[in-house]
Amino acid sequence: MSDEISEHPDRPQRGQVLFAALFLICATLLIAALGDQTKWLKGKEFFAQPRFWPAIGVGGMVIFSALHFWHLPRKPRRLPRWMREADWLQWAESLFWAVLAIVLSLWLGPIAAAPIVFLVATIRVTWLYQHWTDRREAKIWASIFEWAAWFLAYVLLVPIIGYLPVTVAFTVLLTWRVGYRDRIMTISAVLFAIAVVVVFKSFLQVKIPGAALYEYLPGALRSFFILNF
Amino acid sequence: MDLIFDFLAQVQASSNYLARWDVVLALLVGSMGGVIIGAIPGVGPAVAIAILLPATFSMDPIVGLTVLLGIYGSSMYGGSIPAILINTPGTAVNALTTYDGYPMTTRGEARRALSLAYSSSFFGGLFSVMCLIFFAPVLAKVAPMFGSREIFLAALLGIILVVTAHRKHTLIAAAMACFGIWLNTIGLHSASYSKRYTFDQSWLSGGVNLIVVVLGLFALSQAFTLLHGDDEKVRLTRLKGSFFQGFRELARHPRIAGVSASFGVVMGMIPGVGEFTAQFMSYTYAQKSSKRPEDFGHGSSEGLIAAETANNAVPAAAMVPLLALGIPGEALTAMMLSVFYVHNVIPGPQLFQNDMDFVVALYLALLVLNVLVVVFLLVATNQLIKVVKIPNRFLGVCILILSFVGVYSLRNSLTDCIIAAGFGIFGFIMKRMQLPVVPIVLGMVLGGIMEVKLRSAMARVKSPLDFVDRPVAAILFGMIVLVLALHFRRVWLDYKERKKDEWQISHASTSFPAILSRRRNFILTERGKTLRAKRKTFSRRLTDKD
Repeated sequence: MSDEISEHPDRPQRGQVLFAALFLICATLLIAALGDQTKWLKGKEFFAQPRFWPAIGVGGMVIFSALHFWHLPRKPRRLPRWMREADWLQWAESLFWAVLAIVLSLWLGPIAAAPIVFLVATIRVTWLYQHWTDRREAKIWASIFEWAAWFLAYVLLVPIIGYLPVTVAFTVLLTWRVGYRDRIMTISAVLFAIAVVVVFKSFLQVKIPGAALYEYLPGALRSFFILNF
Repeated sequence: MDLIFDFLAQVQASSNYLARWDVVLALLVGSMGGVIIGAIPGVGPAVAIAILLPATFSMDPIVGLTVLLGIYGSSMYGGSIPAILINTPGTAVNALTTYDGYPMTTRGEARRALSLAYSSSFFGGLFSVMCLIFFAPVLAKVAPMFGSREIFLAALLGIILVVTAHRKHTLIAAAMACFGIWLNTIGLHSASYSKRYTFDQSWLSGGVNLIVVVLGLFALSQAFTLLHGDDEKVRLTRLKGSFFQGFRELARHPRIAGVSASFGVVMGMIPGVGEFTAQFMSYTYAQKSSKRPEDFGHGSSEGLIAAETANNAVPAAAMVPLLALGIPGEALTAMMLSVFYVHNVIPGPQLFQNDMDFVVALYLALLVLNVLVVVFLLVATNQLIKVVKIPNRFLGVCILILSFVGVYSLRNSLTDCIIAAGFGIFGFIMKRMQLPVVPIVLGMVLGGIMEVKLRSAMARVKSPLDFVDRPVAAILFGMIVLVLALHFRRVWLDYKERKKDEWQISHASTSFPAILSRRRNFILTERGKTLRAKRKTFSRRLTDKD
């Protein structure tokens, strides 16, 4: 079975619907928060209002990502036969949308209700156009969290243990983790880590605080380590 | 004549900037570092500049900018090496080099291709710097005509060009540009002291830092992509001999080199257009005007010259909107803008009026840089090509470790690192989908400029027509209308073409005689088939073997 939903030559189709839908959902949530998160000041001119540019930003996000979603080559989910043939189900769905829109606009007012109805509709459409390759793609996206977690762990440990030891340890461990387990790569990793610390911390003096652990070093060594490593 | 004397005096004054040991060191580091970074597929100038940005904040503006400019200007030289030798562009803009460079390598002309690429890059770089040095006094006269509304319109034009330049991805590019504009508005609104989209979180009240976003989108996402991917097996051929022959060959194509470099200069100056359009136009020109257009894409030296000259002419030209108006035209110059802001040097018309020495010094630095890079490449290509062999996932580890320096040294903040990691994941997803990330960065930078400039411009505008009553504003407005009109025309033509294709394959005629005729043909064919089958069963076909 081919990975592609259609023969669009320019970009991979896997995950496009999912990405567009997630972006649109986030944009809709943000536009729903526009009134709450920005202010309209009386007596200030239109273009100087604090709400003006956020509205342009989130408004554009919603409009353009919705159009992008609409233009994506997509294939509807194959529903079970009874669902495809049941007229009453389509009638019931139409009725559901009408009731939802009316109830929400009576309850919250039409301006607040519009994004909610739009959001639910987006979720419904996304469900309808989900492809199995999208789900597989989502798993790949989730797998990246591992590397992000490595990065954040590195960030957390540097102020505690120290830039040099943590950098060496992380470079070696990560090199090991990605599958290079021979001596040459390990030595390259150690050399690279030392070079990074020497160039950036000792030579360029970038702002990376001395570690808590360095405080336990004896006298002159302590200040030398805090300054350079 | 006066202009030339003024200019020579300027050059003399500016050379003081370059005669410092730290600037010379920055030039050396920038040029060699840029070439090496360009030569490694997977690490582009964007990754390197993003990582080095915070480190350059503590340097003198001219030193910091020279390093960054060095990387920007020289990475394309390096990028041509893997493009020609292993068919993988070192930086994105070298993609066109693979078309003609790699076929030359397969013919056993790798050295010729490399030396041609170096010499045409050198010509492109030199040509654009010379153009701009001579333009500088003219620019200094034009730049003061740009007030708030003109700068607003130029920024708007830039953002529209960035979006429309992404053909077939225009909608998502526009959504991303708006995302950038929105990101820039997060935090405290300085003019009214009201919070925007902070969700009552203290860490959001300072806003989202551009460098954190850039590091996430370019550096971390690239690290994740490399860590996720597989290593490629690389086989390199050893090169023998000198690389000087390219200069002689380039001299035989002065027209293509000149036109391509001019395309590079013009396209570089227009914000949002950049290398790809320049390359595309010069390549098409070279192909159309060539005596052997059929060679293009199969190892044509003219194609290689067009591609490499055009892309190297862009960096110097891209500095024009940045320095003269404070408007960056692409992601790399957007990053450099933050170096200016950190040092309180505000690029724009005032910079040209008050600090012309600084501007000319930057151009001279670019000039020296091109010479340094070519000398370095002529001597060290054989050693340099070994960097192509660094395994991809190890490269990913290196970028991850280096990204930490970039993000953490900015404010020593864990929150910044978390935001950067978030944007890293977002950038990774975008890369996998092959969707554009550059509009986000430009949206952030140009959105900020547009917000400030529109506010100050509208204070003096009574009716909508007042906004475009000055000549420069009117021209810019006309250009915006023209760009939009051309874009919508293109969309309409694409739509018509698509519909035409759909209809052509839809169905045959449904008229009654046509149906009858098809039916007749079908029956005759079927009858023929049955008859042939019958004869085959009863009387076997005679062949020589029997």
